[in-house]
Amino acid sequence: MVFSIIHTTRYRYNAPISFCHNIATIRPRVCTGQEIQSFDLQISPQTLDLSERLDFFGNNITRFSIQQQHQELKVTSKSIIIRQYASVKASFFTDQCKKITVSEALFSLKSNDNDILEAKQFILESILIRNTSDKIKQYAEVSFLPNRSVFEATYELMQRIYTDFDFVSGFTTVSTPLSEVMEEKKGVCQDFAQIAIACIRSIGLPARYISGYIETLPPPGKQKLIGADASHAWFAIFIPGFGWVDFDPTNNQIPEDQHIVVGWGRDYYDVPPLKGVVFGSGSSKLKVSVDIRPASEAQKLNIIL
Amino acid sequence: MQNNNAIDLLVEQYFGGNKYDEMFTPDMHVKPGWKALSDKLNVLGSKELASRQKDIDWMLSENGVTYNVYNDPKGLNRPWNLNIIPFVIQEKEWQQVSEGLKQRVHLLDLILKDIYGKRELIKNGILPYEVVYGHRGFLRQCDQIKYKTNKQLSIYASDLSRGPDGRIWVVNDRTQAPSGMGYALENRSTAGRVLSDVYGKIHVRKLSGFFNDFNQLLIKASPKQIECPNIIVLTPGPHNETYFEHAYLASFLGYPLVRGNDLVVRDGFLWMKSLKGLKRIDVVLKRVDDAFMDPLELREDSHLGVAGLLDVVRKQNVTIINPIGSGVIENSGLIPFMPAIAKYFLEEELKLPQIATWWCGQEKEKKYVLNNLNKYVIKRIDRSSRETIFFGEFLTKDEKNLLEKKINREPYLYVAQEKINFSTVPNFTDGQLEPRNMVCRAFAIAKDDDYKIMPGGLVRVSPERDSLRVSNQRGGTSKDLCVIGDHPAKESSKLILSERPKYTASGLDDLPSHTAENLYWAGRYVGRSLTVCRFLRMTLKQLVKVEQDEYILENEKLNILLKGVTQITNTFPGFVGTEKKKAVTDVRVELESVIFDKTRIGSLANTMAMFNNSYYAIRNLWSSDMWRVFKIIQKSWASIEGDGVANLSYNSIIKFLDQNITRIIAFMGLIEESILVNQGLLLYFTGLNLEYGILTISKCRALLTVQTQDNVAYEILEAFLISHESLNIYRYSYRSYITIENALGLTLLDTTYGRSLTYIVSRIQKDLAKLPNKINKNELSSYEKYIFEAYSKLKLTSKEKLTELDTDNVVYRKNLAILLRDLSDLLFNTSQAISDTYFNHTLKQKQLNSQSFPL
Repeated sequence: MVFSIIHTTRYRYNAPISFCHNIATIRPRVCTGQEIQSFDLQISPQTLDLSERLDFFGNNITRFSIQQQHQELKVTSKSIIIRQYASVKASFFTDQCKKITVSEALFSLKSNDNDILEAKQFILESILIRNTSDKIKQYAEVSFLPNRSVFEATYELMQRIYTDFDFVSGFTTVSTPLSEVMEEKKGVCQDFAQIAIACIRSIGLPARYISGYIETLPPPGKQKLIGADASHAWFAIFIPGFGWVDFDPTNNQIPEDQHIVVGWGRDYYDVPPLKGVVFGSGSSKLKVSVDIRPASEAQKLNIIL
Repeated sequence: MQNNNAIDLLVEQYFGGNKYDEMFTPDMHVKPGWKALSDKLNVLGSKELASRQKDIDWMLSENGVTYNVYNDPKGLNRPWNLNIIPFVIQEKEWQQVSEGLKQRVHLLDLILKDIYGKRELIKNGILPYEVVYGHRGFLRQCDQIKYKTNKQLSIYASDLSRGPDGRIWVVNDRTQAPSGMGYALENRSTAGRVLSDVYGKIHVRKLSGFFNDFNQLLIKASPKQIECPNIIVLTPGPHNETYFEHAYLASFLGYPLVRGNDLVVRDGFLWMKSLKGLKRIDVVLKRVDDAFMDPLELREDSHLGVAGLLDVVRKQNVTIINPIGSGVIENSGLIPFMPAIAKYFLEEELKLPQIATWWCGQEKEKKYVLNNLNKYVIKRIDRSSRETIFFGEFLTKDEKNLLEKKINREPYLYVAQEKINFSTVPNFTDGQLEPRNMVCRAFAIAKDDDYKIMPGGLVRVSPERDSLRVSNQRGGTSKDLCVIGDHPAKESSKLILSERPKYTASGLDDLPSHTAENLYWAGRYVGRSLTVCRFLRMTLKQLVKVEQDEYILENEKLNILLKGVTQITNTFPGFVGTEKKKAVTDVRVELESVIFDKTRIGSLANTMAMFNNSYYAIRNLWSSDMWRVFKIIQKSWASIEGDGVANLSYNSIIKFLDQNITRIIAFMGLIEESILVNQGLLLYFTGLNLEYGILTISKCRALLTVQTQDNVAYEILEAFLISHESLNIYRYSYRSYITIENALGLTLLDTTYGRSLTYIVSRIQKDLAKLPNKINKNELSSYEKYIFEAYSKLKLTSKEKLTELDTDNVVYRKNLAILLRDLSDLLFNTSQAISDTYFNHTLKQKQLNSQSFPL
């Protein structure tokens, strides 16, 4: 499936900003089942001071500064992404993936092989997922029994989070502590992903945070509104001997073509879509819109790159 | 027995335990290495030592050597202590220690390169990955950054202590922003003077060569090989515990001392905001912790660093010493693996033993530690602050359970270490030598392909006999570390920084705008303190003539003067009252508060506190005389604080103000002769004169705009002239009865009298013209326009016009009042415009999204 994605972030300030430095994690990365056909980034006001690099986790990072006075910052990315995830998804349900038990996985992780070593960093505590409570561990242990398949345990964990937690936007912010989310059982996709990651790490298995988009479908018979989609987040677990397997606890499913990956890290902190330091007084208003639809349809509608 | 009676007396009760002592054998013989020093101490004797210790204390206090302690009840700036008895070590033994240190810092440099590079140590199983990935000093943002310097670790400090076997052990590694070199230098310079006769004879090795190399290191670190790279010392500011040292090193090396908001990143380079504009910076000697260096990529809530700095580092457009990210080497989790790492990189054994350490990330070690918690000291691998060190034996049951739980949850974050076996060293206390536990800090810097070890160091000893903790924060004391030889050294003895760059940042153009701002405010506060003091003194002198307080408010003259106090100090309602609040009636209580209440904005005590702060922030520009006077002022205020105030008679307060005035004047004299115009004295004068001008106006408004009965008017005029220190000049100039015309003529309009407003304003005008930042030669800058307008208003009026009375209100001098109001606004606008132009800190640094995560 070929998708066209337009992601716009706009900050409006009530007083002029004299300059700012920013980092955007916004260019989608190439990964299993996902290719990038084109990518274009527009920043207004325009700037010449822009550079791109790969970060520690292999994500595409764009750094830029705006050195002229401005009252609005607008960052628009337009990508054409090819998603062919069905076969990847199918591989998760094979015996090769499902047969590995929790205790086998824990044992395999003792090795120092390159891919295992690479994955193991995702067991350790991270900026936003640290000092997790016993509650998290107890919650995880219900599903992660030693002789159980890691895949099945994780699948169940995803289902439980989906059932036990309520999707309430505005209840949490990026800095709401995990313990509070666990206590209140409310939050948004980031929170659910991070709860799952904390659970998996408490067992001693590697889990990472995935930041991206999800295409939403309009109610049957209705026309899809432009800009009605959203940034999304989910998680992946590393199953030694098989590899990384993605789960989306917000939608209670293994990701599909509609889940477009931008990047990953230990938690949200590693992959914020746009962050920055601004110099000036006054406050700002933020508006974000994401539009995802099949490229052919986008072309027809003239939502064009 | 070599000891003569004197030293016997000194060591009467020396031995308490059976520890290893540096100077004495267990049967109280002086060890051979200490013989030379001991002989000299014997000759000096207890009395002389006590007197020289006093000299040291005095000198340190004179030079303002301090060590700040966060949240210290005694206030900031705890005095630094240096004990007269140095710690001596034979050159031969030091040579061995140095070799060991060189090997260690060399290894740590290789480890640092590997951690942020290929990570072979982890891949090859030499080092468990958790020791690196689990350490909060491992900054993933710094991964794969390439540096131009040969060594990634340019500066290194190591805490050493002597084990029971008599060997010197490594206890801690310091790499992030190692402190102590400045204190070591200051200790040497002080002890070297007080003990010059002793030091010369025991052949103490000099530090000059080392600091010369240190300076060369900074120069050569510049990414562009230019003759005079721009080097700065980056400090977190006056509240940092080792701020004294930052200022000391900056002024010793001759580089500007700057804070994060003096710097900015533009176009891929790092710039310093100076008075003239932006100046490119090549090398940063950093004293700010890693995580705080760049709020864009590292800690978002940091205001100590510079947004975008890491990317300048990536582009190799600036060198930071030590590089951001080197904090990962301050890692007690590395210790157990150091022998294997030494084999891996160098095929060598470790030359210096290290403190026994068990890393809990290994199952066997963790079990052992948990079973023997009582025996050990437990700490996190990435923290060595006092709060996170647990002495197993002192933990309560609950604390122990909590710690066990933490270790079980994240075992890789913890190590257990053996308690340090301190050796003892003699400390001169109360006329006796007393054994104290000691730790010593040694320093290494990169030089060409090798490292150079300071032939000296910083020795710290415990505050009491038998104390386990040795730390300056706990109020310990320090010693000079003397490496001594059998013969005089060959090296040149003078402290010369040979190839010092010709460029030094002392020009006005290069003045960091922060320093400029502090100088400006220093001028304003000193002017305000002095003027307010004088006005209060004059008022009190009038008060004491009245016998009983009840009569004071009935006296019209006193009433006007007291209202003047409120107006000049801006401490309304006070004696004036406001629309909502009545004027106070208890004269004594209000005056006490206006003079002594530190918390009341506008009070003299408050102004003095602001004065203290603004001066402390520019302490790198001070002479030692300034420090002395400054301390006397502080002491006198401290002595009078609290309950003492209520018991003071008006006369004693007058005496106190008298002293304060004299000291402020002495201080001002010293400022003018010790700070160069190019260092920003111009800004100091601008601030000072603006404040003089503003307060002269405010005095005139309070006392002279309303006409009173003749006899009262005369007394008010006299009081005005006294507070303005102009009565004598008046008598000299006019030789007549005091009239309002002449008083105004002298204090506002005279063009030759230094205290007249016209003179002050014209002086400000001249000074402002010298400031950089002139855009158009033919046009006045914004601030110049205001001051020009003020000047012309003064020139266009006359004393006759000013004394005219209003036709509707026959006691009101309307022309005078209007002029004073306009002038007050103009001077205020001038100040505002100067701030806007030069002190470019009004731009607040904020996060795009307000979030803050602890790194």
